[in-house]
Amino acid sequence: MLARLKAPQWAGLSLIGGLVIFPYVIAMLTGQPVDSGVPKFWQGMLIQVFILAVFAMSYDILMGYTGILSFGHALFFGTGAYTIGILLKHAGWDLGSAFVAVIVIAIVQSLIVGLLSLRVSGVYFAMVTLAFAQMFFLLAEATDFRQWTGAEDGLQSIPVPAWISPTTERLRFYYLALGFAIAMYLVARQIVNSPTGRVMMAIRDNEVRAKVLGYNTLIFKLIAITVSGIMAALAGALNALWNLNANPAVLSVATTINALLMTIIGGVGSLIGPMLGAGVIQLLGYWLNVLFGPSWPLLFGIVYILIVLFLPYGIVGTWRLRGTSWLEQWRRRWQELTVRS
Amino acid sequence: MSDVLLEVEHIHTFIGQFHILEGVSLKVRAGSITALLGRNGAGKTTTLRSIMGLNPPRSGQIRLAGEPIHGKPAYAIAQLGVGYVPEHRAIFRDLTVEENLRLAERRRGDLRRRSDFIMTLFPDLKRFYRHPGGKLSGGQQQMLAIARALVADNRLLLIDEPSEGLAPIIVEQIMAALRQMATETTILLVEQNFAMAAQLADEYYILDDGRNVQHGRMADLIHDHATINRYLGAG
Amino acid sequence: MIEWIKYRRGLIIGIGAIILFAYWATTTYEPRVLASILLSGLTLGALYFLVTSGLSLIFGLMDVLNFAHGTLFMIGAYVGFTLYANPRLLLNTVPFVIAVVAGWLLAGWLPVKRIRTPGWLFWIGAVIVAMMAVWGFELAPLATTALSSGGRIPTEQAQAPTAIFVIRTLGLAVAGLIAGIAFLVGKEHAQQPLSAKLLVPLGMLTLALIIAPIRLSAEGWLLSLNSNTRFLLALLVGASSGAALGGLMEWSLIRPLYSRPIYQVLVTLGLVFVGTELVKAIWGPGGYFMELPEWFSRRGPGCPSPNLIAWLQDNCASIDVLGRPFPSYRVFIIALGLVMFIGTAILLQRTRLGMIIRAGVQDSEMVQALGINVRRVFTLVFALGAGLAALGGVAAAPFLGISPGLGQEFQLQAFIAVVIGGMGSFTGAALGALLVGLSRAFGDQIVLTGIQLPWMSEAMSFSPSIARASTVLIMALVLLLRPAGLFGKKE
Repeated sequence: MLARLKAPQWAGLSLIGGLVIFPYVIAMLTGQPVDSGVPKFWQGMLIQVFILAVFAMSYDILMGYTGILSFGHALFFGTGAYTIGILLKHAGWDLGSAFVAVIVIAIVQSLIVGLLSLRVSGVYFAMVTLAFAQMFFLLAEATDFRQWTGAEDGLQSIPVPAWISPTTERLRFYYLALGFAIAMYLVARQIVNSPTGRVMMAIRDNEVRAKVLGYNTLIFKLIAITVSGIMAALAGALNALWNLNANPAVLSVATTINALLMTIIGGVGSLIGPMLGAGVIQLLGYWLNVLFGPSWPLLFGIVYILIVLFLPYGIVGTWRLRGTSWLEQWRRRWQELTVRS
Repeated sequence: MSDVLLEVEHIHTFIGQFHILEGVSLKVRAGSITALLGRNGAGKTTTLRSIMGLNPPRSGQIRLAGEPIHGKPAYAIAQLGVGYVPEHRAIFRDLTVEENLRLAERRRGDLRRRSDFIMTLFPDLKRFYRHPGGKLSGGQQQMLAIARALVADNRLLLIDEPSEGLAPIIVEQIMAALRQMATETTILLVEQNFAMAAQLADEYYILDDGRNVQHGRMADLIHDHATINRYLGAG
Repeated sequence: MIEWIKYRRGLIIGIGAIILFAYWATTTYEPRVLASILLSGLTLGALYFLVTSGLSLIFGLMDVLNFAHGTLFMIGAYVGFTLYANPRLLLNTVPFVIAVVAGWLLAGWLPVKRIRTPGWLFWIGAVIVAMMAVWGFELAPLATTALSSGGRIPTEQAQAPTAIFVIRTLGLAVAGLIAGIAFLVGKEHAQQPLSAKLLVPLGMLTLALIIAPIRLSAEGWLLSLNSNTRFLLALLVGASSGAALGGLMEWSLIRPLYSRPIYQVLVTLGLVFVGTELVKAIWGPGGYFMELPEWFSRRGPGCPSPNLIAWLQDNCASIDVLGRPFPSYRVFIIALGLVMFIGTAILLQRTRLGMIIRAGVQDSEMVQALGINVRRVFTLVFALGAGLAALGGVAAAPFLGISPGLGQEFQLQAFIAVVIGGMGSFTGAALGALLVGLSRAFGDQIVLTGIQLPWMSEAMSFSPSIARASTVLIMALVLLLRPAGLFGKKE
């Protein structure tokens, strides 16, 4: 059974395995207990990576698989965060029902935004989705709803059930977030490999041809938006639980740019790429922050532009283009070395 | 034997990943009308666009009066005296007839100098001088597209399917104009309407699937029914 | 007839809606209230127009949707404000920029073709030299104005001594030169012949060096100018810096990506981020308020001015409109918008450049085939649009204040205006801007006084954010009825 697995699957399984034992490895290396100090800090770091990985992956279902450029993805992420926050804090719902509500609201929202925005295409679509996201950003900041949203301060101290409290039960939250990311990845892979996913890719490659072949492209684009919207909303909800708050920033353009950045760095048109991108961005952001202090977002923006200019296919895309020839080169060099010696 | 004005040598042109021209060559003599023939999709339009620099060839050479022009941007090629009349009468629909012509000026006063010649060729344009190009009939738009290439001093005109979709009487008018123009300039003509090409051209080249198949004097081709049927559909 | 109605459906619906709205407005508000709402709407509309027109022109001509257009608006506001209130910041930084550009241009005269060293080494060298040149340069004391934080640092203490400044300037010129070489290495290019053209970079370098010793006196001179003159200078400098930035942006970031249009948009979105962070880094995250020039600020006896003609004489801060005072500066904004609208319309309709732009909107390839260098026109139009936006930014500064969030706010409203008006249509852009401006003004009024529906015991009032957000709903409505916008053409 195991022998039949291919190399990428091996890589995937060992990555998951590595992440499962990661907290204990760090604990062993530092000699600190697994639920405090450095291990706890790094668990937090990776929890953030897992959440953002799902967010980025959901973005790539739109951009990389269906060819839809949305600049309003923060809308879903932020609404998910606010929904769960408001339901837990003000409505006193339990966690399970709140998550169901997040999904339902995400579906309704994706369908409305999708139906309106899909009346235009290309960069228009980007522009219109940005406008919708900005509308929710403004509403989140509006003082009128202060009692529910907390206006510009955001929704503070969301009551997260004690058994997954990110402060006291960090390790449990870590495995929850890891499981969430793996589950979402499997769902996404199921979708993009299904007939529906193939139609999405056909739309990306040539929408007119997909139409001529008899597909109602609007329906498939709506499906893509809804799937992506649900995933983003779930990631946003988990993010709210993790941070114990939801503030207007989760609805801002910066959040969308973040998703874009992770997707492009990782590689457009793959599922694993954006997830890797999330890891790179989170760690890079951390180091830039340590090194350059408050001016790190500026550097971040410059790095982003340089990547768009010079590394448009991202890590995974560049690897797919050049990887085999690089491997070949390295193997030849290695052979030369071994033969000579 | 007159001089060769335009020389295309083994050009390979790609559109996206598609290899459209696979080594097309041709020579156009100064003062002649040369027809470029072939079926739909044979690469005729792409050949003109390659010469014009709109789809630059990836390899091969193009020389205008001995000077290499491949790799130059389209505007620089135009400035060397190449006029382009694209297919589908791509005039500027929101601009008036006058503006369409004025835009083609390369030096101040070009239009004033050439106005009489253009207006005798196409009297209709004078009548609609201040109307938007989009309001003209198909034939008038074609006349405007040709006239636009006559405003500046062009040594070579690349004309793509001037008779496409036009009534026979308009086609007659355009043919007369082309014949008149040929007295002072050189024309490379792409034409589906073989009867028209046969009457106008001195020489011909036939393309098929992005390759040269045959070339020679038009007078010889007219009697070669086998070739006409094979490469040009029903003659 | 039916064809005509079908073709003009959007227009008819629009006019119908306007008539209905006008009926509602005239029966709801008394004339003087209505007049000030309309004027406020026109003010906002004029500002939106300055952003929207460039956005729409750029999109129409080169299919680039510039998400950073609002950022250019904001940068214009900051630069204009700085010239107006704190010129030493500009005097101590602009020479650096000029020096870099001069160095870059000078590289064209060097025999770069003979260089075999790879380009990236030069890039690294340029970065290192530039970092050495600005090592220890302190921006914060220069950026501090009397307005922003307690007390003002005297200029002598804030700025570096002339010798150090000159060294920095020369260092940056060298960095620019190295970067210019890096850019040219391995490219097909002709070495520039020795001609009068060489005077341009040399002149720029001289200018940068001349500013060094006269920084203090130049600052004194600028600040001693009458506030009206300074204001006009601010408009001019703000707009031209925006134009320069826009041109640079097109040339450096947009032009290499014409074959990858999606990435163009991604780059402009990144520039929103960079621009905002850059502004925060230089001017701080807080906001500023720009004082009104004397023309628009007199108060006291005889004010408000009874009418526009009288205002020319007495320069009151407000003008009487049907018995209600209306700020005279806003009238200026309306006039500025109108002048720019007419100016741009004349440029488009009556000049050769305008003819090229209109033709290029339809088919830029054919324009190219007529012997016109369209790429140069692209850069020019980008600069023009950016300049208009930056001009709007300077004009908005005394009215709305300046903050790093200013750009996104205007970007959003400009997008909405563009969707409503129809992309690529200049008239559409202008009318869309006007509509959004007016609806914002009415929205502000409505949320302020509140909505009282028949079954409500008391009116429901909201914050202005709701009015801002609600313009998105208008956009949604237009999208439903006519996706191409009121004046856009169907694809």
